[in-house]
Amino acid sequence: MADSLERMTNLLALLLSSNRGVTLADIRNDLADFYGDGSDETVRAMFERDKRKLRDIGVPIESEVLGGGDAGRTRYTVDRRRFELADLDLEPDERAALELAVSAARLSNANLGLLKLGGMRGASMVFANIPDLPSLPVLREATARSAVVRFRYRDLDRVLHPYVLLLREGFWYVIGFDETRGERRTYRVDRIEGDVVMGEASAFERPADFDVRTAFPADARLLGDEPETTATVLVSTLRHGHERDLGSVVERRPDGSLVVEVPCANRDAFRSWLLGWGVDAEVLGPPDVRAEVVEWLRAMAGRS
Amino acid sequence: MAAGDGGQVMSVRRGPRPAAERLRGLLVMLPWLAERGRVLIDEMASQFDLSVDELVGDLTLAALCGLPPFQDELIDVYFDDDYVCCDVPRVFTRPLQLTAIEGFQVLVSARMAMQIPGADRGGALGRALDKLRAVLGDDGVIVDDEPPPATAVITEAIRRCERLHIGYWTQGNARSERDITPYVLFTDRGNWYVKGDDHRSGEERIFRIDRIDMCERMGIFDDPREVKVPESDEWFLDDDLPVATIEVDRTGAWVVERYPFRRAEQRGEGWSVDLTVATREWLAELMLRLGPTARVVSPPELADVGTEAARRLLAVYEADGSDAS
Repeated sequence: MADSLERMTNLLALLLSSNRGVTLADIRNDLADFYGDGSDETVRAMFERDKRKLRDIGVPIESEVLGGGDAGRTRYTVDRRRFELADLDLEPDERAALELAVSAARLSNANLGLLKLGGMRGASMVFANIPDLPSLPVLREATARSAVVRFRYRDLDRVLHPYVLLLREGFWYVIGFDETRGERRTYRVDRIEGDVVMGEASAFERPADFDVRTAFPADARLLGDEPETTATVLVSTLRHGHERDLGSVVERRPDGSLVVEVPCANRDAFRSWLLGWGVDAEVLGPPDVRAEVVEWLRAMAGRS
Repeated sequence: MAAGDGGQVMSVRRGPRPAAERLRGLLVMLPWLAERGRVLIDEMASQFDLSVDELVGDLTLAALCGLPPFQDELIDVYFDDDYVCCDVPRVFTRPLQLTAIEGFQVLVSARMAMQIPGADRGGALGRALDKLRAVLGDDGVIVDDEPPPATAVITEAIRRCERLHIGYWTQGNARSERDITPYVLFTDRGNWYVKGDDHRSGEERIFRIDRIDMCERMGIFDDPREVKVPESDEWFLDDDLPVATIEVDRTGAWVVERYPFRRAEQRGEGWSVDLTVATREWLAELMLRLGPTARVVSPPELADVGTEAARRLLAVYEADGSDAS
């Protein structure tokens, strides 16, 4: 085990320090302690294995078959610009701010990224539990590079131009243009089934007028397929003493109860919100919305 | 170009570590060490999630490597009391590219930190983010997790270990006033919480910040104390609370995504889920939202919570007359 770590480290050092690349013959010569002995076949097999492992850990080894006097030989190079992190020139205060951010988020790969940026994990008194999903990195990359993504969602194959990734109320959403549907859509990332496949970069342009604040309604009750409607709701007792999430108040009754108007284009979200109030909220209208709620309750009460 | 496939180098692992993984670790450690020159061994091991033995082993081995033709290209490592010192050849002084997952997580951490009270959005963090974006591409990541207004006062109190007098609404919609010493602030599933000592119960408690309706500094200062921050999916697991087993069909599958569960098992298109029940009222509201296709399987005393809640609420509607059957 120790031998192979030493051998691979030396191989990498040789590849990195050579400007014009090395052939297997060069490697056998320069790293004779490791690749010197054994038949051509054994050495080649060992080299191929090491090369594969180096590629696996992210070392971009390129190969080129030579002509002329070296015809048939392969030369191996590592493009340092692809291998090494571009110098970010982080100022000490900028790095400290990132250190604090990464400590707060407690994401293990962010810690590793921070170490690469020369930082250290520190102590924080503010923490964020951020949902971590396997498809997020590829979605971010696709968003940054304007690459089309393909994935399955609710049993259908989707082809999406991703415009933005949004974390809101603990859920990740990807918003973009759905090619097959021909319209802008929002998908919950945790509901994507299986892998996300990324296509070629620069495959689309985000519309200049795209604005996430309008593309994604702040209120889940607005995320509906039905025409936008408003329901009137009587709230008898306020929760936790405040009127947050209540929409617009249209009437304040003497007994302290409120009549509010809330969006209900998304009936499921509306009902879920309404029933979260228990007996403290009653939908007054429109009649079809009220009837739906009554029907729901009757089915539950065993009196349908 | 993102290197690697988002593999995690520093996951907690025991048993022999493959050479490739150790090399990948070294490629992160060497530039980091090169920049510092001299570091406490313990501190470095903890930064890289290695035991001291593993760290010393890997660095010692690295010291054996180098290029025969160029003597100055040898990695030079020595240990001096509790410190490790290192001269790293030029070829290993530049850090590796961030992998896709590292880049993503650093960006998200920074974006999240921008939301934290006291974040200097135009300052160092904003500048760091701009530099990261220059390397990683326009990130297209938006974190929308604005903390409630009270968070600012609480953050300041945590810094000073100052007691706060707060008004708090419990899950069951009862208000109480109490004195707390806040120690940490955290956000989980879109809500912000403060954890600290509750002087009324004499216990460590977690409070949801949007349920605090009054928050006054008391001018009393306690000693700083290390408080463990709960992991997501862990902190709500209060052993004193009852657990209910609920069965839902596909229309109720959201419950698995929305609420932390103790156990969840897919049953066809639906789920069987064990949830911690903070209060009977909470379960009643959950069952109302899940609707007629969901049911409480156990314990028996909670089986009718949903039906009862539906009947009570139906009575409200039927009292109006218009919906009487």
